[in-house]
Amino acid sequence: MKPLLRIENLSVYAGDRPLLENLSLSLCRGERLTILGETGAGKSILIQAIMGLLPPSLRASGSIQIDGRDLATLSRRELECLWGRRLAMLPQEPWHALDPLMRAGRQVAEVYACVLRQDAERAAANARRDLAGVGLEQAGDKLPGQLSGGMAQRLAFCAATAGGAQIVLADEPTKGLDADRRDHIAELLRRKGEEGCVLTISHDLEVARRIGGRVLVMRGGRPLEEGPAEQVLNAPTTDYSCRLIQAAPGHWPRIERRADGEPGPAVLEARGLAKRHGGKRLFQGLDLRVGRGEILGLVGDSGCGKSSLGDILLGLLAPDAGQVARAPGIARHRYLKLYQDPPAAFAADIPLGRLFADLLRLHRLDASRLPPLLERLRLHPTLLERPAHEVSGGELQRLAIARALLLEPVFLFADEPVSRLDPITAREVVQLLTSVATEHRCALLLVSHDPELVERVCKRTLRLG
Amino acid sequence: MRLRLKPGQRIGAAVLVGLAGFAVLEWLLNAGDPAAQDLANAFAPPSLGEPLGTDQFGRSMLARMGAALRLSLLLSLLCVTTSASLGIALGVVAGWRRGLLDRVLSFFLNLLLALPGLVLILLFAGLAPGSLPMLYLAISLVLWVEYFRVVRAIARGVVASPPMQASRMLGFGRLYCFRRHLWPAMLAPLLSLAAFGAAGAILALAALGFVSVGLKPPTAELGLMMVELFPYYSDAPWVLAQPVLAVFLLVLGLQLLAGKHP
Repeated sequence: MKPLLRIENLSVYAGDRPLLENLSLSLCRGERLTILGETGAGKSILIQAIMGLLPPSLRASGSIQIDGRDLATLSRRELECLWGRRLAMLPQEPWHALDPLMRAGRQVAEVYACVLRQDAERAAANARRDLAGVGLEQAGDKLPGQLSGGMAQRLAFCAATAGGAQIVLADEPTKGLDADRRDHIAELLRRKGEEGCVLTISHDLEVARRIGGRVLVMRGGRPLEEGPAEQVLNAPTTDYSCRLIQAAPGHWPRIERRADGEPGPAVLEARGLAKRHGGKRLFQGLDLRVGRGEILGLVGDSGCGKSSLGDILLGLLAPDAGQVARAPGIARHRYLKLYQDPPAAFAADIPLGRLFADLLRLHRLDASRLPPLLERLRLHPTLLERPAHEVSGGELQRLAIARALLLEPVFLFADEPVSRLDPITAREVVQLLTSVATEHRCALLLVSHDPELVERVCKRTLRLG
Repeated sequence: MRLRLKPGQRIGAAVLVGLAGFAVLEWLLNAGDPAAQDLANAFAPPSLGEPLGTDQFGRSMLARMGAALRLSLLLSLLCVTTSASLGIALGVVAGWRRGLLDRVLSFFLNLLLALPGLVLILLFAGLAPGSLPMLYLAISLVLWVEYFRVVRAIARGVVASPPMQASRMLGFGRLYCFRRHLWPAMLAPLLSLAAFGAAGAILALAALGFVSVGLKPPTAELGLMMVELFPYYSDAPWVLAQPVLAVFLLVLGLQLLAGKHP
C-alpha cells in the first residue's frame, strides 16, 4: 500500500546543533504511530517539519512526502491547500486553538462551510453529527470557556478533522487531562487512525498503549527504538526505553499510608471557601486543614480551580466566600509556591546565583546552608552562574525547591510542578520534593492532573470538580 | 544591563553624535555671536572665515546653527527627562496599585489625549508667547502621556506575573521588585519612546517657531530660522537648506535610534 506520510532521513539543525537526526518513518492507511521521549528530543520539531512550518532559522535536510508528493516541491499555497483537507494538527492547548467567542457548534460548522464549501444548513448538520460522535451533543451552544479541558480538546479534535484530513498529527493532546478524559481522547485518535493515519507525540505511556499501533522512542533528536506498542511498552530493548517506561507514575513505589501518620498541628485552615471564575462555580463550601509536614494531593481536570484554590490558600487570590487562617506566629514568607513552568519562578536574564544572594541577604541567612541543600537536591553549584533560561526545566524546578527550602517553609503549594518535565525527570523531581518536604517538616499541597502520581506519593488526596 | 544596538540604531546614534559634536565644538572653538549683524555682508557664500555663509542680516550661520542645535538638543533632552520621570513614576504607581488612583490618572490622561498634542502646545505657547520655560512645560506635559501608558501596561502585566509573585512571596520589597522585574521589562520600550519623544520635542519646537508662536527673533531656533529664510529661498538656497537639513538629520537620527521592537 502507498504510504500517506513518508519521511526519509529527515534532519533539522539549529546552526550546527542537530535537533533531529536521520529520522525515517512511513505511515499507511490504518496505521498509528506514537512518539515517546524526553523534552528536547525533537518531537515537536518533527510535527512542525511535517506541517511545513519550521522556523526559517532552522535548516532541514531529507524529504517529507505526503501522498507521494515531496513537501519541498510544493509552493506555500499548495501546502496550505493540504492543511485541513489532507493534514490536520491537533494542538497541545485546545484553548489556544479555539475561538473563545464562538459557540462550539459554529466552530466545527465553519470548517464545513469555509473549507468544504457546504451550505450553512448542511454544515450545521454535519457539525452536530461530529459533536455527537465525541459525546458533545449537549455542548453545541457553549463557549469554549464554559467547557472542561477534556471537552475543549474533543471540540478541537472535531474542528481539526472536520476538513476530512486523513493524516492527523497530535502534539501532546492529553496534556493536563485526568485519566478518564485522557482515555477518551486516546480512543478518538485510535478510531481516527483506523480510517486514516495518526502520528501522536506524548509523554504518557498509557496514551501510547491505548492508541496502539507502533511506538517510536526518541532521545536527543535520534530515533532509538521502534516497534509495536505492546512490545516496546512491555519489553523495551534499550536501556533508555526501560528507564522511560519505569518512570511512569504507575511504576513508582507506593508510599506507606501508615495509620500512625498523625498530622502535626495545623499550619493552615480553610473554612467554607467558594470561588467562581468566568460565571462557572469552581468550588463551594470547601473546608481544608493542612497539618505540619503533611503531604496532601490535589487532583482534578484542568480548569477546575486547582490553581485558584492554591492561590487562595496562599493569600494571592481573594475567595468569594470563606476564610483562610494561618497558624499564628509564623512569618509570611514561610508559605510558598512552586510553579508549573519552572522559569516562571525566577527573574529573567539574571544569574541565578545573584537571585540566591539577594535572598540570603534579605533574610540574613547563613550562606553556608546553600551548598549542602544543592547537594541534597543533586544540583551542581556551577548552575548558579547561569540565568534561568539556560538551565534545564528539571534542574530549574529543583533550584526553585532549594530556594524555597532556604526559608524553612511550613507550607508549600506545588502547582503541577512536573507537568512540563519528561517522565524520567518528573519522577526524580517529585521523589526529591516529597522526601525533602518530609525531612524539613514542611506541609506540601501537590497538584497534579494525574491521579496515579498523587496516589503514589500523597497520604491524603483532595479531588476537585 | 546589556544594550546591543542593531546596525540601523548605530547609524542613528552616529548621526546624533555628529550633530551634538558640531553643536558642542562650535560653542567651544568658535563661540560666535548668533545675533551679531553685518548688513554689508548679507548672504555671503561659504568661505574660509564663514564656512556656512551668512544670512539676510549677515549673521554667521555657523554660530546660528550651533546655537540652534544646542537649543533643540538641550530642550529635547530636558523634556524627555522630565516627561519620562513623571510618566514612569505615575505609570508604575497606577499599574501596580490599580484602584481609584489608576482611574483618576487615566481619566486625566484621556482628557489630555482628546486634544491633539500640538494644539495643546500651541495653547500653552499662546499663554506666554516667546517663553522657553512655557514651551518646555507644554511639550513635557504632552510627552509624559505615552510613558505613562506604556509603563502602566507593562507594570500591570509584570506585577501579576509569576516571577514577581514569587519574589513578593519570598519577602522581597517593592524597590527590589521594581529593580529586578519592572525596570528590566520596561527599559527597551522606554528607550524607544525616549528617542521618539525627543524627535517629537524637536519637531514641536521647530513647528512653533515656523508658525511664529514659539521663540522670538533674534533667537537662533531651527523653525524660526526656516521661516525667516523662506522668502530668500531662490537667492540663497544653501542658507535655507541648513536648518531644514538639521531638523531632518536630528529626527532621522532619533527615529533610527529608536529602532524596531518585535
